[in-house]
Amino acid sequence: MTRHSALLLQFLVLIIPLLLGLAILGWGREGAYVLHGWLIAGAAGWGMTWLLDKMNDDAPEIPLEYKDDVIKWGVLACFAWGVIGFTIGDVLAWQLAIPSLNGDMFWSNFGRIRPIHTTAVIFGFGGNALIATSFYVVQRTSRARLASETLPWLVFVGYNLFVLLAVTGYPFGITQSKEYAEPEWYADLVLLITWVAYLYLYLKTLSRRAEPHIYVANWYYLGFIVVIAMLHVVNNLAMPISIALPKSYPLFSGVQDAMTQWWYGHNAVGFLLTAGFLGMMYYFLPKAAGRPIYSYRMSILGFWGITFLYLWAGSHHLHYTALPDWVQYLGMTMSIILLVPSWGSVFNGLLTLNGAWDKVRTDPAIRFMMVAILFYGLSTFEGSFLAIRPVNTLSHYTDWTVGHVHAGALGWVAFITFGAMYKMVPWIWKRDGVYSLRLEAWHFWLALMGTLIYVGAMWNSGITQSLMWQTYEPSGAFTYAFIDTVDAMIPYYWMRAIGGFLYLLGALIGSYNIYMTVRGARLPDEGSDAKPLAHPAE
Amino acid sequence: MTPEKDPISGRETTGHEWNGIKELNTPIPKAFRLWLWISIAVAALYWVFYPSFPYGADYLHGALGYSSREAVQVAVAEGAATRAEAFDIFETKDVNELAEMPELQAQFEGEIAVLYRDNCAACHGRDAKGQKGFPDLTDAHWLWSGSPEEIEYTLQVGINSAHEDTRIAEMPAIGRDEWLEQAEISDVIDYVLSLSGQEHDAEAAARGIDLFAENCASCHNGEGVGGYENGAPDLTDSAWLYGGTRADLRETLQHGRAGVMPAWSDRLSAAEIRKLTLYLLWQGQGDGNS
Repeated sequence: MTRHSALLLQFLVLIIPLLLGLAILGWGREGAYVLHGWLIAGAAGWGMTWLLDKMNDDAPEIPLEYKDDVIKWGVLACFAWGVIGFTIGDVLAWQLAIPSLNGDMFWSNFGRIRPIHTTAVIFGFGGNALIATSFYVVQRTSRARLASETLPWLVFVGYNLFVLLAVTGYPFGITQSKEYAEPEWYADLVLLITWVAYLYLYLKTLSRRAEPHIYVANWYYLGFIVVIAMLHVVNNLAMPISIALPKSYPLFSGVQDAMTQWWYGHNAVGFLLTAGFLGMMYYFLPKAAGRPIYSYRMSILGFWGITFLYLWAGSHHLHYTALPDWVQYLGMTMSIILLVPSWGSVFNGLLTLNGAWDKVRTDPAIRFMMVAILFYGLSTFEGSFLAIRPVNTLSHYTDWTVGHVHAGALGWVAFITFGAMYKMVPWIWKRDGVYSLRLEAWHFWLALMGTLIYVGAMWNSGITQSLMWQTYEPSGAFTYAFIDTVDAMIPYYWMRAIGGFLYLLGALIGSYNIYMTVRGARLPDEGSDAKPLAHPAE
Repeated sequence: MTPEKDPISGRETTGHEWNGIKELNTPIPKAFRLWLWISIAVAALYWVFYPSFPYGADYLHGALGYSSREAVQVAVAEGAATRAEAFDIFETKDVNELAEMPELQAQFEGEIAVLYRDNCAACHGRDAKGQKGFPDLTDAHWLWSGSPEEIEYTLQVGINSAHEDTRIAEMPAIGRDEWLEQAEISDVIDYVLSLSGQEHDAEAAARGIDLFAENCASCHNGEGVGGYENGAPDLTDSAWLYGGTRADLRETLQHGRAGVMPAWSDRLSAAEIRKLTLYLLWQGQGDGNS
C-alpha cells in the first residue's frame, strides 16, 4: 500500500465513527448520550482533517528511529487513568465502610460509580500501559519502527475515547449491565474499529522486523490483542433499541448470556490482565536485570498452556447455577491444569533473576517486578483453588472473590506496570534514570502494604461472611440474619479502605516521581544500537 | 548467531538475541513435567466420574451419575424435613392457641428473630420500633388490631399490596384534590392537634369540629379514635405514623398517605408467618385492645 492510499483508507474508515457521532448528536434524546455523539464526531472529524493535511503534505522523511512520541502519551494516559481509578476505588471502599458517603444522589451511589473504578483501572490504566509498552517492546525486539506514522495516534486516541465514553456514561445510567463490558453498543463500535487498527499495526510492525525470530513478549502481546478482539465482538453482540437512546439488548439471553459474559469476563482477566502483562514481564524483567530468560522451553509451555486452557475456564464463575454440570466440570478441571503453565511463567520470571538477585535489593523497579511475579503466583494458585466446586461454595458471592481479584490487580498487574514504567520512562525520555530512587522505594512499600492490608481484610471478611451464611441451628433455621453478616464486615471494610488509601498514596508519589523524571535533564544520543535497522522500502 | 554458554548458570542460550535479551535453553524440570501430568490425570479422573465433554445433543454423564440439580433438591428436602420436625408446633396449632403458650418464647425467640431481621427489619427496624411511615410494632397502638389472627392476616395479605385480598387503607389527598379549602384544612389540623392534647388555636379547632365530622369521622370515628375495621389511625394518642406536628399533618392532609405492607403469603410459609406473628406479640406491650 502506498502512503497515500493508506492515509485514504484510514480517512474512509473514520467516516464510520463520524456518521455514528453525527447520528447520535442529531437524533439522541439524553444529555450524556448526545454529549457522547459530539465526542465521537469531534474525534473522528479531528482525525479526518489531520489525515487530509497529511495527504496534502509531501511524504515526510521517516527518521531511522523508534516511534516513541505516542508511547509518551500512553504513559501519561496510563498514570492519569490510574490515579482516577484508584481514587474512585478508595471512595467506593469508604462508601462500603460508611454507607452515607454515597451522598444520597443518583449518580454517586455505589452501583453507578463502581464501573467507573473498574473501567478506569482495567481499561484506562491497564489498557494504556499495555498499548504503550507493546509499542515500545515490538519496536525494540523487532528492530523496526512502528509500521505507520498515523495509525498509532488513531489507536491511542480511539482507545482513550472509548474509555472516556464508558466512564462518563455510567453516572447517567448508560450501561448494558455486563460486568467489565458495561459500555453500550456505540462505544463498543469505537473500540472495535480501534482494536482492528491496533491488530493490523502490530502485525505489520512484526512483519517488518529485522530479527529472524519473534520474541516471546510479542507472542503474549499478540495473544492479548487477538483474543480481546474476539471476546469484545462476541460478548457485545446486541441490538440497539433506537438511535435516539443508548439502550440495547444483548443477542443472548438466560444461561447462554451468562456463559458468554463469563467466557468474556474470565478471558479479559486471562488475556488482558495476564497475557498482556506477561508480555511486559518478558521484556522489562530480563532487560532490567541484565539476565537471559531462564528457559525458552518454559516460555513455550507457559504461553500455549495459558492460551489453550484459559478459554475453557470461564464457566467456573457460574458454579452451582443453572449452567449445565458438564460445562461447570470442564471449566473446573481446565482451571486445575491451568495452574501448571501459570506457575511455569512464575518460575521462568523468578529464575531469570538468578545471578541478579542483588538488584532486587538495590533497584526498586526490579523489586516491583519480582513482587509482581509472586502475587501472580499467589493469585493464579488462588484462582485454580477457588475454581474447584466445593471450595467455590465457600468463596462464591463473598468478599474473598474481591480480595482475589485485587491480589491480581494490585499485586500483579499494577506492580509489573509500575516496575516497567520506572524503567521505560527514563528510556523513552532519554533520562539518566528515575528522579528519585527513595520515592520509588516509598511507592513500593506503600503499595505493598496497601495490597497486603486489602487482600488480608478481604480474605477474612469473605470467609467470615460465608461461614456465617452457612451456619444453621440444629432446627434447620439460620443462626445469622443477612444483616448480621453485614455488621460483621464493618471492621474489614475499614481496613480495606485504609489499605486502598495507602495504595493510592503510593501511586500519587509514583506519578510525581515520573513527572519529575520527565522534567529532568536529557541524556546524549546513545548511538545506533538504540535505533531500528534500516530495511528495504515496500 | 550460535548458542553460547551463560557464565552464571552454565546453560546454553538459544542463540538468539533481541535488544540485548537472550534466552537460556534450559529443559523443563522433571518435577514440573510430573506436576503437569498429575494435573491432567486429576482432570481426567473428574471427566470419568463427573459430567464432562459434550457430544451431539448429549454429554458424558460420568460414572457417578452426579447431577447438581438432584443434589440440591435432596439438600433442600432434607432441610425442609429438619425444620418441619423442629417447628412442628407452628404447623399443627393455630395462632390463637400458640399465643396462649408463653413457654414458646424462651425456646424459639432467638431463631424467629433471624427470620424477622431477614424479612421485616428493613422497614420496621431491627428493634421493631419502626420509623416514619412504618409502624412501631412494640407499642400498644395497632392499626388493624393487635389480636393474633388479625396480625397474622395482615402478614398474609398485606396492606395496599398486590395480593387480591389485600387490606386497603388510604388517606385521601384532601388538599391536592380540593376536598377542602386551605383555610378549612388549617381548622381541621387545629382540631386534630386538640384531640391529642397538643398546643392549638382553640377558635380554629372549634371551627374544625364540624369539618372533621363531615369529612374525617367516617374513617377516623367521631372522637378521632380511628377504627380497626378500616385501618384508620387513632388521632387522640401520641403514636404518629407520619408525624404529629402541624407541618406533618399539613403534609398528610395535603397529599394523602397510602403506605404499603407487602403480602408475605407467597414468600413465607404459613408456619413462618405464624412464627413472625408470635414474635410480634412477644415484642409488644399489649394487644392494643385495652
